[in-house]
Amino acid sequence: MDKTEIRVGGLGGQGVILCGMIIGKAASIFDGKHATLIQAFGPEARGSACSAQVTVADEAIGYPYVKNPDVLIVMSPDAYTQFAPQLKPGGMLLYEKELIALDDKLPAGVKAYGIPATRFAEELGRRLVLNIVMTGFFTGVTGVVSFDAVEKAVKSSVPKGTEDLNLRAFRKGYEFGRDQVAVGK
Amino acid sequence: MRLEGFPQNVVLHDGTAVAIKPLDAEEASAVLKFYRSLPEEDRLFLRDDVTKPEWLRRFVARIESGEIVSLVAEAGGKIVGEGTLYRAQHGWTKHVAELRIAVAPTLRRGGLGSTLARELVKIATRTGVEKMVIQVVENQVGARKMFRKLGFRQEAVLRGHVKDIHGSKRDLIVAANDISHIWDAMESLVSDFSPSLE
Repeated sequence: MDKTEIRVGGLGGQGVILCGMIIGKAASIFDGKHATLIQAFGPEARGSACSAQVTVADEAIGYPYVKNPDVLIVMSPDAYTQFAPQLKPGGMLLYEKELIALDDKLPAGVKAYGIPATRFAEELGRRLVLNIVMTGFFTGVTGVVSFDAVEKAVKSSVPKGTEDLNLRAFRKGYEFGRDQVAVGK
Repeated sequence: MRLEGFPQNVVLHDGTAVAIKPLDAEEASAVLKFYRSLPEEDRLFLRDDVTKPEWLRRFVARIESGEIVSLVAEAGGKIVGEGTLYRAQHGWTKHVAELRIAVAPTLRRGGLGSTLARELVKIATRTGVEKMVIQVVENQVGARKMFRKLGFRQEAVLRGHVKDIHGSKRDLIVAANDISHIWDAMESLVSDFSPSLE
């Protein structure tokens, strides 16, 4: 079975759960695969740690919890510190490169790709779309879900009236991701 | 500000094909031609004398400074409509933008005004504008209906505030559309908060 385990980590208010939900929705509803989502919140609404565990597979998934992800998406330094050591050796780290400084705690063979997602979101007009930039980055770098599927998932998941900016944020992250893969970093 | 996603090709209710795009400074003289073609009575309701080259120079300079965004509608090689978003660059109304729309008489009631207004509302939404305002004269029934459909609600009436071409005083209506709630919904969606039962 072809299966990818993903963890998304960050702070409350960064849209971590929505990022995981869109990836799962894109895979299961628009790409015809199977997906599960587990979400964990900190004790407060904003500013505390939260994470989402997403599994995408081409067959039914028997166990939805992710302990050692193939892909880790992190948007805050705390999430990086907490989750990076659990990455599978040879896995992939996608991180907000202006918020997180990498250290030597990454498992062997991990490929790390950084993106200034917060700055991109601010340049697009709203810091709130940081998570959608990261979702686009994930799509562009990993190819686990298709561009079309994620685009549809973004459009159908965000509030009416915000689709335009959210889709621009998704494309910005996607294109940056494709460029990073092309240059091999 | 660089605007993406243009030109947009739309077909009006009467079948006219129109391209909506940001005003290009090099083609700005076509706007002057468009405004000069409007009936004098229509131009009277505009705040500036839009037939003068000095106005156009100021208009283009304000576009280049980012103070305003202008979208034009082109059909058959000429401008048939123009919409402008005005936003203060500083001060206590920085979150507010004013919308102004002008459409050639032959294309009115065909959906062009709403298309221009809708695109400008989208641009406003993604650039942090929280409230949009418009001013219409009481007898501009079509424009009032169009803005109502786009979510604008009357907030003030300035009695006898404008004079029409015959010298009759008319009421000026100020309507507003609070677009901040759109992003409230997004903020709530990304709050990553799961309410707990106690």
